[in-house]
Amino acid sequence: MADAALFAHPARLRAANWLRTFAALGVLIGTVAFLTLVFGRTGERIAVLMCVNVSAVVALAVFCGNTGIVSFGHGAFMALGAYLSGILTMPAGLQRSALPELPGWLAGHELSVLGALPFVLLAGAGFALLTGSAISRLVGASAAIATLGLLIIVHSIAVSAREFTRGSQTFYGVPRITDLTFVLMAAIVFVILARVYRESRWGLFVRAVRDDEDAATALGIAPRRARLAAWTLSGTLAVVAGALYGHILGAFSPASFYLGLVFAHVVMMIVGGMSSVGGAVVGVIAVTILQNTVRNLEGGITLGGVTLPEVFGLTTVSLGVAILLVIWFRPQGLVGGFELGPGAGAGLLRRIASRATEPPAPRPVSTETLKARGLSRAFAGVKAVTDVSFDVPAGRITGLIGPNGAGKSTLVNLITCQYDADTGSAEIEGVDLTGLPRHRIIDHRVARSFQNLRLFSGLTAFENVLVAALAAGNSRQRANAIALRELEAFDLGSIAAIRADNLPYGARKRLEIARALAQDPAILLLDEPAAGMNPAETDDLADRLIRIREDRRIGILLIDHDLRFVNRLCSHIVVMNRGEKIAEGTPEEVRGNPQVIEAYIGRGRVARAADAQTPQDQALAN
Amino acid sequence: MDQLLQQLINALSLGGIYAMLALGLAIVFSIVGLINFAHGDIMTFGGYGIFLSMVFGFPPIAALCIGLGAAVVMALAMERTAFRVMRGADVISLLITSFAVSEILKVLFQNGISARPVPISFPAAWSGSYQIGGMTIGVAPTASILVTIVSLGCLTFVLRRLAIGMAMRAAAEDFDMLRMLGVRANRVVAAAFAISGLLAGIAAVIWTAQRGSVDPMMGFFPVLKAFIATVLGGLGSLGGAVLGGFVVGTLEVLTQAFLPDALAPYRDAIVLSAVIAVLLVRPDGLLPARSGARS
Repeated sequence: MADAALFAHPARLRAANWLRTFAALGVLIGTVAFLTLVFGRTGERIAVLMCVNVSAVVALAVFCGNTGIVSFGHGAFMALGAYLSGILTMPAGLQRSALPELPGWLAGHELSVLGALPFVLLAGAGFALLTGSAISRLVGASAAIATLGLLIIVHSIAVSAREFTRGSQTFYGVPRITDLTFVLMAAIVFVILARVYRESRWGLFVRAVRDDEDAATALGIAPRRARLAAWTLSGTLAVVAGALYGHILGAFSPASFYLGLVFAHVVMMIVGGMSSVGGAVVGVIAVTILQNTVRNLEGGITLGGVTLPEVFGLTTVSLGVAILLVIWFRPQGLVGGFELGPGAGAGLLRRIASRATEPPAPRPVSTETLKARGLSRAFAGVKAVTDVSFDVPAGRITGLIGPNGAGKSTLVNLITCQYDADTGSAEIEGVDLTGLPRHRIIDHRVARSFQNLRLFSGLTAFENVLVAALAAGNSRQRANAIALRELEAFDLGSIAAIRADNLPYGARKRLEIARALAQDPAILLLDEPAAGMNPAETDDLADRLIRIREDRRIGILLIDHDLRFVNRLCSHIVVMNRGEKIAEGTPEEVRGNPQVIEAYIGRGRVARAADAQTPQDQALAN
Repeated sequence: MDQLLQQLINALSLGGIYAMLALGLAIVFSIVGLINFAHGDIMTFGGYGIFLSMVFGFPPIAALCIGLGAAVVMALAMERTAFRVMRGADVISLLITSFAVSEILKVLFQNGISARPVPISFPAAWSGSYQIGGMTIGVAPTASILVTIVSLGCLTFVLRRLAIGMAMRAAAEDFDMLRMLGVRANRVVAAAFAISGLLAGIAAVIWTAQRGSVDPMMGFFPVLKAFIATVLGGLGSLGGAVLGGFVVGTLEVLTQAFLPDALAPYRDAIVLSAVIAVLLVRPDGLLPARSGARS
């Protein structure tokens, strides 16, 4: 891709995102039209329920798709919405007979459905914030089970709080909604909100956290806060979807929002593909069609003279089988991890050429110096790092070398608070980094790369860099321009629209450095950037790093095993062995240091090395 | 004092059931990364095994053994049909798969046997009680505590002393490495499922002996508690699962005994909220599983 094409990438991405939204909405509206035109009144009833399910599943996917955590707790939000909206909109006379013990402040409001909406929204947001403050601390399977706990808690409260809910008895008298246009509009609004959130700053942050929590934290993203935002939005939407569902049903009980409903919604989400909004829409449609087909068979049917018996729960079985088949044969769902419609790299968008703003100059770096002083860390008695001090000034590439297990990566992890230091400090501009929360390190302009690749695999190359620029506090427009600047600097323009997990190894390595540079650091910590690269790639990387140091005057701490690479780049080298700093100085000084030779070559050969100094130098230099 | 001791026995008895279920979940989770939603159905199937064998006229002891066997067979069948093809899939896919398996099995139970509870009549002596120092103690809780202790003791022996047990513990730490060492993966996984099924079967025996009936949802609620227990203890940690089971059981008995009547219906909500409160302080659980991940 030529430069002009690269610089149109943000505009194309925006266009692609809208096209994808319209594709999802088109599928939805098309299906609704088909159902009502072909099946008349029955079709319209199915379409109404389908639209409410789209709202509910999109709400669910806002959390699950973006965080990668499956929630079984959204039934709780739906129950809250249904009961609250039901109580607020119920005719007063009916309410006196149905809920005689309802507290006065809730009774007799007789609001319209839309009039009740602000209160439902408010209550939903409050409840989501409250529960999210707990659930956002958990990840993976623990979080999934905690959401299940939430469902059980709310279900048992709904059964017990008779004065509000009539307990496990049917809650009746809720004004019915049967207007297809109304629920279709609601579904459209939900889809648009979910899409806007997904591509927004917070949506990108939480997807970065989903793909690699440690890397996202190092970029300055607070994982809990990102998850809490997703949970709160998703929960609030689910409360509204629950209110809609309640008005569709007209009469319901706590069991209406328990595992049966949750199972159906999770199936719809997974069948379509949980990591995209389009997937949620397609999943609901596919499962709705399946359910209605099977439901006709459930009451018993005569096929070619054979009467099949009535089978209770056939719809449940069909849902179960559907989900098993999808997981076995298409684990990413029918739509997969991608959104419906074209991506930003599609030829369709080639004519969009509006250029992003001129790349901003990197923030100036003057005399910032990262000062490590007396850093130590022991793991259960093993001294990984002992009393290490050195400086990484701006404008210099400082090498950090040492045999495997010397404690180099541990040292970087201490500086970036990945581990807590036992003693010592890492100061920049008078601020001690050790003891800061990990996501605050970047506020002091210290960025890092990781030894093992830690890209956000579900994001494109462009989005990987964009997320870093956004996390550093830039506006969207500026972040776009910065991301393009870094992609260009590392020759990644042609693969901007490709997902990181589909990139070749060398490109991933460069992308990780580009991502760190997008944060405009004063000090950059590179943990084995050339590991696994072939000699040509290593040389190329060295050229780029030298150019970056010259252009931006930033300080780089370079950890590597490849001594030729380090010698070429670094004017100052720190050598570690067994957790201690054993030497420091110019490459020549370090090369002549007997301790360094011993650490690298071994004691036996040092004596021989004394006899033949020159070959020894040769060995080290290679 | 007497009441306290009485409640202690109840807590141990209920906690023991949760601990065995949680341990079964944890063994499977630590090896294949599966949170088995269908674990409750293994327990239910064990219960139906007892019911059916008594319907066919087996003596009670034989029926219990058949129930245990049924649970083991169900666990192995589940592994073979649903989960083996999913080996290596991510936690969420596995979780959803087991969710689907569980829903399907429940419908099969409802259609194949009955949607309503079916009674199991054990000898009257089993539900009796005896006196020690002026205290009335039920036979069933006592038996359940003894069975729990024996089961956990045997399992510790298997895991610490027998080759297959050590292979399982090694698999929990690093399954890929174990396979590279030449240990048959299928055998280790099958053994894990068999043990988890056996533990669920024992839980089914104690549960039915105390309640005298089986229904399609029998295993569901205790296993929900066991889920909570495994997370409380630390997902993937075997010791944590047992500890979590006893903590959840104790909390439940305590709230049952000492909660004022007005709050009694909110018992489950209170117990679960307490557990979630603990997780806020210790997100990795009480006894977190070790991990050797490097950055």
